[in-house]
Amino acid sequence: MTVSRRAWLKTLLQGIGVGLVVGPRFPTVDAAYGSEGSLGTGPLTVRVTRPFDAETPVREFTSWLTPNERFFVRSHFGPPAAETVQSDAWRLTVKGLVKEGLSVSLKDLQQFEAVTLTAVLQCSGNGRAHHRPKVPGVQWERGAVGNAQWTGVRLRDVLQQAGVKPQGLHVQFQGADRPVLATVPLFTRSIPLAKALHPDTLLAYEMNGRPLPLLHGAPLRVITPGWMAESCMKWLTEITVRADETPGYYMQQAYRIPETAVQPTSGLPGSAMVPVEQMLVKSLIAAPAEGDTVRKGPVTIQGVAWAGDVAVTQVEVSCDDGRTWEPARFVGEEQPYAWRQWQYIWNAKSVGPTAILCRATDARGERQPVTSPWNPGGFLWSGWDRLTVTVAA
Amino acid sequence: MSMRPTSSRVVLASLKPSTDIPRPSRTLGRGGLAWRALSPFTIVLLVILVAVAITAAQEEERTAVEPAVARKAATLILARCAVCHTTDLISQQRLPRDRWTATVEKMVHWGADLSKDEAALLVQYLSARNHPGAPDQLPSIENELAMAQPAREQGVATDGPLTGVAAKGAGLYAHNCQACHGEGAAGGAGPKLARNRILKNEGAFWETVLHGRGPMPAWGAVLSHQEIADIHAWLASR
Ligand code: HEC
Ligand code: HEC
Repeated sequence: MTVSRRAWLKTLLQGIGVGLVVGPRFPTVDAAYGSEGSLGTGPLTVRVTRPFDAETPVREFTSWLTPNERFFVRSHFGPPAAETVQSDAWRLTVKGLVKEGLSVSLKDLQQFEAVTLTAVLQCSGNGRAHHRPKVPGVQWERGAVGNAQWTGVRLRDVLQQAGVKPQGLHVQFQGADRPVLATVPLFTRSIPLAKALHPDTLLAYEMNGRPLPLLHGAPLRVITPGWMAESCMKWLTEITVRADETPGYYMQQAYRIPETAVQPTSGLPGSAMVPVEQMLVKSLIAAPAEGDTVRKGPVTIQGVAWAGDVAVTQVEVSCDDGRTWEPARFVGEEQPYAWRQWQYIWNAKSVGPTAILCRATDARGERQPVTSPWNPGGFLWSGWDRLTVTVAA
Repeated sequence: MSMRPTSSRVVLASLKPSTDIPRPSRTLGRGGLAWRALSPFTIVLLVILVAVAITAAQEEERTAVEPAVARKAATLILARCAVCHTTDLISQQRLPRDRWTATVEKMVHWGADLSKDEAALLVQYLSARNHPGAPDQLPSIENELAMAQPAREQGVATDGPLTGVAAKGAGLYAHNCQACHGEGAAGGAGPKLARNRILKNEGAFWETVLHGRGPMPAWGAVLSHQEIADIHAWLASR
């Protein structure tokens, strides 16, 4: 499936030849909502007040780890009541095609070996606002992504204790969050058994060394490093091993992309739809910021780049609207699944407005396209990042 | 957004797109990048982009929405849509009519309480207000409604005493209020209304129901005074 998706991207990009340059939209439209409030989330750009959806301003991405209170929040229905997920009554149930069902407390779970890894978490809809024609959904721009250190236990260890039956091929997750009206489908997701058994797939209870905050899934969430965030179920309470993919809206309709190229229409996609899984190679400029004025002379351009479960091999920067590209220098840590920080010193010569762009290439040889293929859900945007600054004398 | 709170007509003029063509500055960012700074490549792309935008915009039905219709639609959004999510999720979309039709249908399927006519009204309003060529920034639906409110509704309960019919009020309550105030008016996202002291304070009751308060929608444009009196009678009988 992965192979065919890559092929789909390639075909489409060749077919396009030219793409549309659509810069990120600015500025933080929703400043009016005032996100600093009872939620203690710091200065996020709020997209939806209830259920809470908010993205991180990209200037935060000059740091290696994204702090918990600055981390983007995506909720389908909002967090469950704090008592239900923080009390001693909380249990994780493992059932379905297993030899022995389990019901464990957080303490029980912590008897398994603890694992810590750093991984990018990114909403599949990150960048949806850049797709043309526009598509329905939360209009995320650039910041529905972050890099955090996750501590937890291996999902594999838990599944091994329960004993997966031979017919078990998919692992379904259910969180404790519930819609306002029972007529709305639950947010239920599944991942293939192979990903569930991968030694880096975690049930995480800590984020950046602190107990998982309520907005990020307390007390336990799934982390599928290298895969988009809809697999990373928050407020996890139930794991069900099944023979098939989970039915229902959030697995069979939402979070799917066409397997082959589709024309931008608002009708049916005309292609088989497959679940969004892996991240694509992508990069962002964290500084300077859109609209900044910089001094003539050396200007430090910095940002981040990531490519899911493979390494980023190159980041290039263009300071002349894409005519010429120069390689950026990697700085800081290199860890699997985490993002890579980069820097480029630009010698700004001509006074006036200039577009700055960046694009990354990964170890598979995939390079970010100028714009991403249109798809009806507006998922997996990974077009070149772009902003404009003004050079002052 | 240039919005002067002078009359509902001004508000509605702003609901219509001021232009069909996205300005380059909007496409390329706030920096207002000068045209000469664009590569020929980008200019070609921009032309394509503009062409796409025009075609998309022309597909739109640009029927202006009457002020009274707009007020009713915005009120319905607050009352029936904001039950599950805030109106910002709705207001940030820029969709052609067929996508609005599909979206409203999906919401009704999921439990949004709308009659066929109400759904059609919302589609009409949303496809005129939130079409693909609409400006990036629109006022919130709440603000728009506040500005579109006529200077003075008919005075609160000045049209003489109305006699509410509790039997009629039950259905009206279920349709309009239950999603937030709960079955049997026992409370939910909104406060418990059964045996609520406000039922005895008719002035406060009418003020709240006609004009809304915080997350509580205004019903003045949706329900007749008789219908509100019916709901009051039913609540008082609980
Ligand atoms: C019964 C609950 C409910 C009601 C009532 C409701 N919605 Fe929604 N709406 C949802 C859910 C659930 C989502 C998807 C949220 C998510 O997955 O992020 C959604 C998403 C949306 C979206 C984003 C696009 C999409 O398809 O995800 C729009 C636009 C929207 N609703 C408009 C409306 C409008 C207009 C109304 C009133 C007619 C309405 N909603 C009423 C539950 C509801
Ligand atoms: C979208 C959700 C919603 C709907 C629908 C709704 N309400 Fe409310 N209502 C609220 C909320 C929230 C409050 C509390 C407002 C506040 O915080 O001041 C409220 C408050 C009230 C109050 C004041 C209660 C008090 O204790 O002061 C009355 C009366 C009331 N609503 C009546 C109604 C009636 C009658 C209807 C149906 C015609 C209705 N509401 C529909 C959300 C709703």
